[in-house]
Amino acid sequence: MATTFKILTQKDVVSTRNLLHESIPITGTIVSGTYDEPPAGGGLGSSNIKNYSHGLFQSVYDYPALSSSANHIFDLTAGYSNSSALSASSNTQNAKKINIYNEMAQVLVGFDENNDLRRFDEDGDFVNTATKIDDAYFINLTRLLTKDEVKKGSFTLELGVSHIHNNANTASVLLQDSDGNTSYKVNSPAGEYGILYATNGSGTELIDNGTPWKAGLLYYQAGIAVVTASLFESTTTGGMLSGSCKMDEGGNDIDQSLTGSSISGNCDNFRNRMRDLSFNNTTELNSTVYFCRANHNEFNYSANPTYLSASKLVVKNNSSDIPVSYATTVGLYSPDNELLAVAKVSEPLKKDPTNEFTLRVRLDY
Amino acid sequence: MGFLDNSGDIILDAVLTDTGRMRLAKADGSFKISKFALGDDEIDYGLYDKNNASGSAYYDITVLQTPVLEAFTNNTSLLKSKLMSLNRNDVLYLPVVNLFTTAGKGSAKHSSGTFVVPVDKTTVDNLKGGNDGNGSLGAGLLNGYQPNTDISHISCHQGLNTNEISPNEVLARDLVETQYIVEVDNRLGRIFPPPTAPQATNTNLTTDTQIASATPSFVDDDNIASYIFSFSRNSGYVSNLGGDTESSILGPRGTRLQFRIGASLDTRTSTYLFTQIGSLSTTALANAAGSELAASQWRFIDSTVRVTGVNTGYRLDIPVRFAKSL
Repeated sequence: MATTFKILTQKDVVSTRNLLHESIPITGTIVSGTYDEPPAGGGLGSSNIKNYSHGLFQSVYDYPALSSSANHIFDLTAGYSNSSALSASSNTQNAKKINIYNEMAQVLVGFDENNDLRRFDEDGDFVNTATKIDDAYFINLTRLLTKDEVKKGSFTLELGVSHIHNNANTASVLLQDSDGNTSYKVNSPAGEYGILYATNGSGTELIDNGTPWKAGLLYYQAGIAVVTASLFESTTTGGMLSGSCKMDEGGNDIDQSLTGSSISGNCDNFRNRMRDLSFNNTTELNSTVYFCRANHNEFNYSANPTYLSASKLVVKNNSSDIPVSYATTVGLYSPDNELLAVAKVSEPLKKDPTNEFTLRVRLDY
Repeated sequence: MGFLDNSGDIILDAVLTDTGRMRLAKADGSFKISKFALGDDEIDYGLYDKNNASGSAYYDITVLQTPVLEAFTNNTSLLKSKLMSLNRNDVLYLPVVNLFTTAGKGSAKHSSGTFVVPVDKTTVDNLKGGNDGNGSLGAGLLNGYQPNTDISHISCHQGLNTNEISPNEVLARDLVETQYIVEVDNRLGRIFPPPTAPQATNTNLTTDTQIASATPSFVDDDNIASYIFSFSRNSGYVSNLGGDTESSILGPRGTRLQFRIGASLDTRTSTYLFTQIGSLSTTALANAAGSELAASQWRFIDSTVRVTGVNTGYRLDIPVRFAKSL
């Protein structure tokens, strides 16, 4: 019986999973410097920074936010724990900063066995109560950039840590999840996370204490980096630097900034110190491969109207000549003959009884 | 000395067709890939130079240079011609599917060169000679309002269309088409059994109109309904085409597919589609007896009914015009 379809058996179908990575570099001048800051009177102007009336966070775009070409790249916010020494009702946006911290902790750290909210822990060891991150900046990378997750061990954030606000980037530290590939943590309700270690970039502002400073956490699947505020503090006040950074024009240090400035003001200060951010994202690609096998005695004829002239094969002079056909397309069909997927070859594939081939047709999900 | 290419096989990236995406979105298990076919839509076998004086290496040199188009995602635009498997290599003739349009057999085309389907009672009556006229619609006019009251139908014959082999010779069993897919725009028409079908003769003519249309196997996202008709003893649609039967096939014959076309509810009850995708006629539509719809008094939609042999893959596009009196 002539036939145009060939049944795919279980042996002809296999599922595979591949991880695709893209390199995402974000230069610091996009975050602060290339485009205008938002107008003081409100609105967006030609800025790539978007503040909201609720004041809970700030959005950063890669182009003026009003443009249809702009891509949302990350959100920035800051907060502190209710247990933080900074927490005081007289602070600017005190409740909102606590709310932000609690929201992030609720999602990323979760609750303990008594259903009490856990605080961020700088090494992920919740038994040790002395290593909490109570004051933090949060960088929420968009799904557009992180795709399925941030690739472990690929994250680098360079922050300016010069003491002087106007020359914030003359000295820098690098935050990296340098052991993310081998020592990531799995005790978060939001998936896996790694520890961000601080090392000197340019300059030597970071005090050498013998071991790398634990300066934050990176949640890979959530795409959120938590940066401890003590990164900008002097060791004399519990920080890591030789001297505290002046976070704003007024010469306020990080504690004064977190208590006396709004969240968006703190975000502005943080952006001013962001040099470069880079990481690799990950896309999990699930594929089904269909092995379409054309054996020597299959697919040697064609139903193409040009194949026949008065019902006679145009590729033959007599019946003893071997038939030949040329494939350009592979169609994958449902049991009721509906075309569900299609693949093309780059050039016609010759098929005759002297050859056979297997076309591996991959369908990605 | 260079290395041999040991890649062995070829990896191709497939794209889902619109129907594939629709079935995937339904999440009802209807997205199931169970078979494959190879197509050669771009190939013009007329470029195969089997008598090239330079030898067989040059026979297909032009064919192999054919540029291949990227995949379309419209499921009906691809795999229009498929490669076919036959267990033997000595086949010199392959069957085709032809329209049988000889006058006086009920399957002739209309004088306009197409099949015309008047979609509602008014249009049918006008063509029959006035209100409730009892004249005949005539050749090529398929009664879309009451498909089973009229002999007109479409007939497709399958076999070797060559006069080099006698029609009395037997067509090899592996070349006989036993299953056909008929595709029709579901917004416009339905498929009904032909006059001689058991499904069409189990009642008298006055109640024949109650005979239901065939049930499509599926209707895709573009509203193309696919009907599958198989050869069997009681199939009213697919029957044997004997060597003595009058036929459009010159040589050995295989099977015959016959059907009638009825109008959809939309075309019968509304002018919406005729306004959207149709045209106002500039010529009169007449039947054989002379009754007619004057120019500018009717609208029409030109469509195609596609017949494809499931086994042999041969495809035939039949032009059909749906007509509605204004």
